[in-house]
Amino acid sequence: MTISEQHREDMRSALEKGVLQRLPITFLPFVNQQIREWVYLFPNERQSVEKLLHYVAELSTGESSALFKDVIQLEEKMGVGHWHFSTTEQTIENASELARSPYFQEWRRAVQAVFDAADQYALQPGSAAEEVQHRLVILDIPQTLVVDPSIVWRRWQGIGKSLNLGPFTSANDREFFEFLLTPSPGEPGTPTSGLLNAPGNRRELSSADRWFLDAGEGLNDLSWTPTASTNSSLGFISLSYGRLGLYRETFSHEMNTMRKDLADADDVLDRLRKVDVTAWCPPEVSADLAVKEFVRSLFLSGNGAVLFGNSFVEWGASEAFRRARPSMVAARFGMRAKPKPFTGVAVFDNPNQINPAPSVDDLAGSAADAEILALYIWLAATRYAEYRSATVCVVLAESISQAYVIAPSEFPLWQEAEPVSRSSLKGALCNWMA
Amino acid sequence: MESGDRLDTHFDSTNLSGPDLLVDASKRRFLQAAGILVAGMMLPKGYAEITERASGDLEQKVLLVVIGGVRRVETFSGDGLVNIPHLASDLLPRSLFYLHARNEGVTAHFNAISSILTGNWQRLDDWGKVAPATPTFFEQFRKSARVDRNETWVVASNKALTSLIGASSDSNYGPAYGANVVFPKQLMLMAVEEALRSGRTENMADRSKVESELENAMQGSNYEGLGWNVFEATGRLDPRVEGTIKTAIASFVRDGGATSGDELTFFMTREIMRKFSPKVLVVAFSDVEAAHFGSYSLHLAGIHAADRLSYQLWQEVESNPAYRGRTTMLILPEFGRDPDGSSTNGFFNHRAHEESTMDTWMMALGPAVDRPQIVERPIRHIDICPTLTALLGCSPLESQGLKLTELHG
Repeated sequence: MTISEQHREDMRSALEKGVLQRLPITFLPFVNQQIREWVYLFPNERQSVEKLLHYVAELSTGESSALFKDVIQLEEKMGVGHWHFSTTEQTIENASELARSPYFQEWRRAVQAVFDAADQYALQPGSAAEEVQHRLVILDIPQTLVVDPSIVWRRWQGIGKSLNLGPFTSANDREFFEFLLTPSPGEPGTPTSGLLNAPGNRRELSSADRWFLDAGEGLNDLSWTPTASTNSSLGFISLSYGRLGLYRETFSHEMNTMRKDLADADDVLDRLRKVDVTAWCPPEVSADLAVKEFVRSLFLSGNGAVLFGNSFVEWGASEAFRRARPSMVAARFGMRAKPKPFTGVAVFDNPNQINPAPSVDDLAGSAADAEILALYIWLAATRYAEYRSATVCVVLAESISQAYVIAPSEFPLWQEAEPVSRSSLKGALCNWMA
Repeated sequence: MESGDRLDTHFDSTNLSGPDLLVDASKRRFLQAAGILVAGMMLPKGYAEITERASGDLEQKVLLVVIGGVRRVETFSGDGLVNIPHLASDLLPRSLFYLHARNEGVTAHFNAISSILTGNWQRLDDWGKVAPATPTFFEQFRKSARVDRNETWVVASNKALTSLIGASSDSNYGPAYGANVVFPKQLMLMAVEEALRSGRTENMADRSKVESELENAMQGSNYEGLGWNVFEATGRLDPRVEGTIKTAIASFVRDGGATSGDELTFFMTREIMRKFSPKVLVVAFSDVEAAHFGSYSLHLAGIHAADRLSYQLWQEVESNPAYRGRTTMLILPEFGRDPDGSSTNGFFNHRAHEESTMDTWMMALGPAVDRPQIVERPIRHIDICPTLTALLGCSPLESQGLKLTELHG
């Protein structure tokens, strides 16, 4: 029996024991929604719910009461019983009621303590503990986004080290980032596989284990992926802001139209949760239920993912870490246009539709956005224990031929003399992930 | 649930040690810089300015400028001063500056401004569907001094506010004593929507035609729909108000400058000052909220705009005889923003229970300021209402906030 099958069996058993009746009311919207949307969850999310329910089911009544004592006391102080609080799904009204309560922060801490206890239980001897795996976060600030070498790494406050890179001499006339990610057949001294198809080190590999997020149009060459010969998925998750253009525009149009007709924000959310988005998706998104719903949730949760490619990349990567805990995230930033006169305030809709004046690239603004958002992606990863020890982070600033590297002391690239050749960089990263 | 984490509970503060240290270092450098500036004001010229304004029995006016969410690190810190040249160099040397003005309530727009206006931490619906639960200083002032509604105005860019911000639900006060509320940015959005709906989008690209689009939107809309409550019982605008708005629109379009929502708010405010000279005026800027869309550069542009427009408002105060020498102007952010590394996506949002989000600053200018100084003692946003009420000569109602002793009329 695999780990996943064991977890599934544990959860079925927990549900049969009536574990949901032991949960505090504020846990129910989350847990019920996760169970209902099981097919849309990534393996990591399923395991998280399974761990919680299995843990609670294993406790005696007294132990269970002790575990939830703080949460239940806070729910009473908050007056949750008097709220119009949905127990079936997470709603804006639920979130709003919770956030307004003076006990909100205490409640957050108490809930986190319960999840921490479940995580600890899962790590006890005899349980299926997670092995330490090598992970990689690789981010690209492309050539077009010109950065200032004297300040570009300032925000990183010395947690890593900048390395000078040698010239790029790919025989295939490819962009450097794609050279790292995709196979390089027939290039002497270069690994034949790319980071997106290098042999993995996970026991149960799923496509959610490697992600590529792009503020532009996505990878130029997909001829090496399984999709080229079959209708299966790419073998990794690929989300491109450009290729999701139809999805974004239709989605934001629906959102703005509905805002005028529906008084309640939860109604808007509910409608958008149910809209069939398949026709708006590129094939690599529509082929995977979990990915399709991930994109919907990304756009619904805001943070600029519908509007700006760089926000899409940052928020997408952050959500990927939170939800899927992939072993590799590769992300490429890009250009956004300057807000147009008089319609800059109306950024919620397609500015090209509102104002026919030609778009003008915001070179400096896009580079400044990419600089801080690259840091945010790394900080998002380090919120989770999985990325705190054996993870390499590489941020490429192509316009200055530099990489900023955070890596454990055993990472072989530290031994290389500068400028580091780009083939050596690719080799070191592929070996790290092998 | 908020987006961000399972059950929205995960927050690891260990990532914050770096940025927090940075802020501390910046704060020290800022204080050193500010100390030099204030020392400069102790020279005779500074005294001359101060004595000029202490000129007897002029009626007091109040101009409260609230900037959306900005962090200390992007403003009054060593690295942030570059974003606020007017506040730091032109206004700080003559101001009473509270280094720590704290929002200890709900760090969302409607609640934050409601708390400032009422002196009590408000915990209301975030969407502005419910009026503040206790009287605003507009109501306290109007009821106590028996003044007309046109003496109290709110001009706001922020889309999260509604006209309910102008008065509380207290049955002894309420809308009968509330302020006029206008949202110029809503007018602009309406114009964009109208142009889009009627296929006249090319007009929004043509500066010469934007003015008529804005005026059409104003004529064709119902003002409640815009969030305004300046209309009369007939549902029509007072002709004087209408003229004021048209002049503001013309200045905004013909000025040739930037075209953001805050620019229009500034022009509208200045026009209201010139036409109505209200005793109490609250201005809420919100270009900084571009941060919600994840563009740091647009957020910084919003800070620059708020800095410049706040300074221009002070210039208007100093040049307008109805305001010169009798106006106390307060400038403060509604709250900060979340720290880098927070589970709430850092500068994008303002809902983390962190110092970066709650701890801001406040600047006071005008006759209520005895002498330029920096006050390190933390104050709270709810202290503003009783302070302003007292400045206006009213007895403040009992509230959670306390009058600031450094400011007096």
